[in-house]
Amino acid sequence: MIRYLVRRLPSLAMVLGAASLLIFGVIRLIPGDPASILAGPDAGPDTIAAIRHELGLDQSLPAQYAHWLGGVLTWNLGRSYIIGGDISSLLGAGAGNTVLLTSASLVIAVAVAVIAGPLWASTRRPWLEHLLTGVNTLAIALPAFVTGVLLILLLGVLLPVLPSGGVPPDGLLADPTITVQYLLMPATCLALPLAAVLARYLAESLRTEMSQPYVATALAAGVSRRRIVTRHALRNVLPTSLTVLGLQIGTLLGGAVLVETVFAWPGLGQLIEQAIIMRDYPVVQVLLLLSVGVFVVIQLLTDVVHALLDPRIRLGGAR
Amino acid sequence: MPPMNPLLTRRSVLAGLGFTGAALLTGCTSAVSLQAGSPANETSKGGTLRAGIGQDLIPGNFFTNSNSGITTLIGLVYEGLIRYPNDRVAPTPRLATSWQMSADGRALTLTLRQGVTFHTGRPFTSKDVEFSLRTYAEPVWNGQLRSTAAAITSYDTSDPQKVVLHLAHPLGNIFDLLDTVPIVDSETFDGVGTGRQYVGTGPFRFVSWTPNSQLRFAKNPKYWQPGLPYLDNVNVSVVPDPTSLTSQLRSGQIDYAYGNSYLDIEQLAATKRFTKHQLAGAEQQIYVGTNITAPALSDIRVRQAIAYAIDRERIMSEVFRNSGYAVNLPWPKYSNAYDANKNTTYALDTAKASALVKEYGKPIAEIPLAYSAQVPLYRQTAQIVQANLQAVGIPVTLDPLDGAQFVKRLIGAEFPGMWTTFHSWAQYTPSTLTVSAYPFNAAKNSSHYSSAQYSSDATQAWQVADGGSEEAVGHYGRLSDDLLSALFLIEIGVVQPQWVTSNRLRGVSYTKRQELDLTRAALSV
Amino acid sequence: MTDTTVAGAAAVPGSEPPSGDVPVIAAGNAPAFPGRRRTPLLRGRGLTGLILVAAVIVAGVAAPLLAPYAPEEQIRNANLLGPSWQHLLGTDEVNRDVLSRTLYGIRVDALIVFIAVPAGAVLGSLAGVVSSQFAVADVVTQRVFDVLLAFPALILAIGLTAVTGPGAVPIGVVVVALELPLFGRLVRTATLAVRELPFVRAAEAMGAPRSWVLRRHVLPNVAEPVLVQLALSMSGAVFIDSAMNFIGIGVRPPTPSLGSVLAASVANLHSNPMYAVGPLIVIAVLVLGCQLIAQALTADRRRAGA
Repeated sequence: MIRYLVRRLPSLAMVLGAASLLIFGVIRLIPGDPASILAGPDAGPDTIAAIRHELGLDQSLPAQYAHWLGGVLTWNLGRSYIIGGDISSLLGAGAGNTVLLTSASLVIAVAVAVIAGPLWASTRRPWLEHLLTGVNTLAIALPAFVTGVLLILLLGVLLPVLPSGGVPPDGLLADPTITVQYLLMPATCLALPLAAVLARYLAESLRTEMSQPYVATALAAGVSRRRIVTRHALRNVLPTSLTVLGLQIGTLLGGAVLVETVFAWPGLGQLIEQAIIMRDYPVVQVLLLLSVGVFVVIQLLTDVVHALLDPRIRLGGAR
Repeated sequence: MPPMNPLLTRRSVLAGLGFTGAALLTGCTSAVSLQAGSPANETSKGGTLRAGIGQDLIPGNFFTNSNSGITTLIGLVYEGLIRYPNDRVAPTPRLATSWQMSADGRALTLTLRQGVTFHTGRPFTSKDVEFSLRTYAEPVWNGQLRSTAAAITSYDTSDPQKVVLHLAHPLGNIFDLLDTVPIVDSETFDGVGTGRQYVGTGPFRFVSWTPNSQLRFAKNPKYWQPGLPYLDNVNVSVVPDPTSLTSQLRSGQIDYAYGNSYLDIEQLAATKRFTKHQLAGAEQQIYVGTNITAPALSDIRVRQAIAYAIDRERIMSEVFRNSGYAVNLPWPKYSNAYDANKNTTYALDTAKASALVKEYGKPIAEIPLAYSAQVPLYRQTAQIVQANLQAVGIPVTLDPLDGAQFVKRLIGAEFPGMWTTFHSWAQYTPSTLTVSAYPFNAAKNSSHYSSAQYSSDATQAWQVADGGSEEAVGHYGRLSDDLLSALFLIEIGVVQPQWVTSNRLRGVSYTKRQELDLTRAALSV
Repeated sequence: MTDTTVAGAAAVPGSEPPSGDVPVIAAGNAPAFPGRRRTPLLRGRGLTGLILVAAVIVAGVAAPLLAPYAPEEQIRNANLLGPSWQHLLGTDEVNRDVLSRTLYGIRVDALIVFIAVPAGAVLGSLAGVVSSQFAVADVVTQRVFDVLLAFPALILAIGLTAVTGPGAVPIGVVVVALELPLFGRLVRTATLAVRELPFVRAAEAMGAPRSWVLRRHVLPNVAEPVLVQLALSMSGAVFIDSAMNFIGIGVRPPTPSLGSVLAASVANLHSNPMYAVGPLIVIAVLVLGCQLIAQALTADRRRAGA
């Protein structure tokens, strides 16, 4: 296992290195620069020049890249140009919120999928199947900002049982029961499309699994359908489902941009959107690199967990 | 082997969910009931105000009044030397108690208020005035009145209670500068750029800032106005999405909001649970700029046709929900440059506009109209302008740009056709506009407009000793004529920004730069 | 199998090698057609799905006939009206008829769904086939896919439109960039899996040319998962359009798209609650149609035993 992980390291570093160069270059290709954002619409060109110098934007590109990369490698991320504050603390605050939000919605999505998927696959009642198909369609069709606004209207304004946005005023850790209430709506909203995709995938895989010969044998032997689904079929389809989940976590992070905006949840999604709009280069660079890093690590993890769940796969085995 | 995977039994999961739900409903504190805020006691003193604003603080823009994060911070923590009432341009005392202009208009002596201390406890002196004004004049801070600040050649601070400003030439708008510049503490000024420390003399002291999330303030117990402020704390959340801001108001999570759409405010005010605050005196102007070197736009008849074709009344009522009024010139009604007759020069007249386009004769290629895409107000305005111009035979394509590019093109004068956005600074002494706001700058502007006449009129208006004198008003009249005849910027309307508060909150006030003034604000039960 | 193969098994129900020749157990009550397989799209769920999708397309194409107003016409004194007989879905913030804009809005989304998604699918599939054949290409494409997948779609979109300016084309490009790695991985995995099958190995061992194996064995087995994924991706593409419009980088006004109408409706729900309903119905019908098609295709595969 460890040997396998070590073997993956060079390719991991390669992806991150290429990504860092790509990120650094592409963000500078986007027209508009941080100095003019800072200066604002009433500024003259001389002001811009002064600000460019202040930010170090008048240095050569290789020098700027080397400076940034050096900073990242020594975990000295530097200061934000525009949003303000030093980047590691910006990142810390945002990451805490986003990790909480995404993991909560991951839990919700998996819970929903694990209940709805098998139900969908094993039900023989047409109305239930139609209902599940309908709900599934809606969950995929409604964009997060629509479900968000509807949820807020319903549970925040008309029937005020949950806070309609923001984070707990005294911080996430002050009182978990309060935090849960703030978290419930945005996490549900973010979880819905993922839950729908997972449930659908699980249901389809289970149906396929149910057409395997051993199922017919078991059915003939008088084992109940539900028992076959939960005890045998589910176990067999879990590894591939996990892979799907791993890939979908990326979409979760993307969806966070919308959900965080709608619920005023100050996470990394909002931070990166703002940073790009304001051309806050150092913040964008670090966040994008982080996102690539997280993705690569998640891929690695799914591979490892996949192998653990399914003994047929040997890590690093020859093709 | 366990008989059944516990994860997968529907009953156990449902039971778990049900339990959590029940616990939330009964056992624990509800976040919603906490939101109602701490009730104020019978004298209406104390309590924590929860506020929501649409834009976060940008430390680098500290001196620019450019967004609600900055104006909230400065309004609560800082004070200027003088203060204009909202409906006039006439100085009243603030940190300066009296002032005396020399006969030649080149030396201004200010007597400073005694017993004022910064939040660090250090007494406020004339040295702080010099430091604040000098810092404001540094290009890197991009204060819009920088040219005025830079015209102060030297400071006499020998008396800590008195400061003498020596001016390069008479400055008709010197009090605009003194109203605008917040007096900052020199010892902690490093914290301003990093967002860590904001020390002023105002009614509230800065407690903390969490970027993208919230700003916290607490009462300044040693404020120089005894007994004030009433509130103990102000917690300001950053809520970028206007719909979300409105929801938080409706659900009682916040009692003050800056950043809702005009439409939402109209509807909130109609419920009688909320109060609309229309910031008369802190106006912005919505306008269409033209690049007068572009094809077709270089012909004055085309620009006149545009000015006649735009349905200003419709934009003011449908987009800005009547929070303001249509104009042809930037000046708000209380300004001494305002002239009702001149303001109807280009009243809506589509027949005349079509005639002017015909007179121009040549075919007009599609003219791009740029605006900042993230702002719905601009998108609406641009679409109406597009339809108006198309109706008189001027084809227009919309060019939504992201904010960074829009600003870059505006400053670099890189627009290939037209653009629409807000400008400000007409609510002050009229000469401030033409020496400070970049779109109007006589020396270099986004329209590529230059004229010796306009430059000299702008300079003369600026360099009168008293910006309110008959002489000055004469200069402003000539500037207005220049603007109407050159028509490089086509004004649409004077817009009054709006705040909305719940009826619990009383005594909210503002400055001419939309800064939040909570000195006398209180929450009722 | 290598690590990436495992990771690549994304969203491919039943992409694992079939477990040999087994009698088909008909699930559900639809009759199986042993030997003679009729296309699953002309019956049952598949047909319903096809009809739903076709209805949406027809509504978009026939918009000039169906829409009561021009999509960009600003109607005097009709600001944010609620629904009425004159304006079934009311009017928007710039006095335009929402129903007309919704109908015309289908056109942009139809282009995205039926051109951009298939384009991404074709490009991705090609990349997948190529990478399954050559080791060097495999390493390169896998890393490119990694990077593409690593950036959240919306971030990609914000960056791209900042360069190009908004419009339907950048939305299409984002969709292509999104689908490319998805299909690439899918096809690569499926191809490798097929090549592991005993009869394919046997054919290769007997010296069958690679192209023959590809054409004869790989393509037929890969086509179905690709079709299923295509149907699913189509239902997801509308989401990109609406999300981009919501953050202000969608189609260029005044052109309508389903996403732009929906995004604009959110700010005006209190004035005209019907504003959002039109585009939501159309999107839901489109998504439901695609989902049903995907379900029909997978069910068919299952019955066919592969």
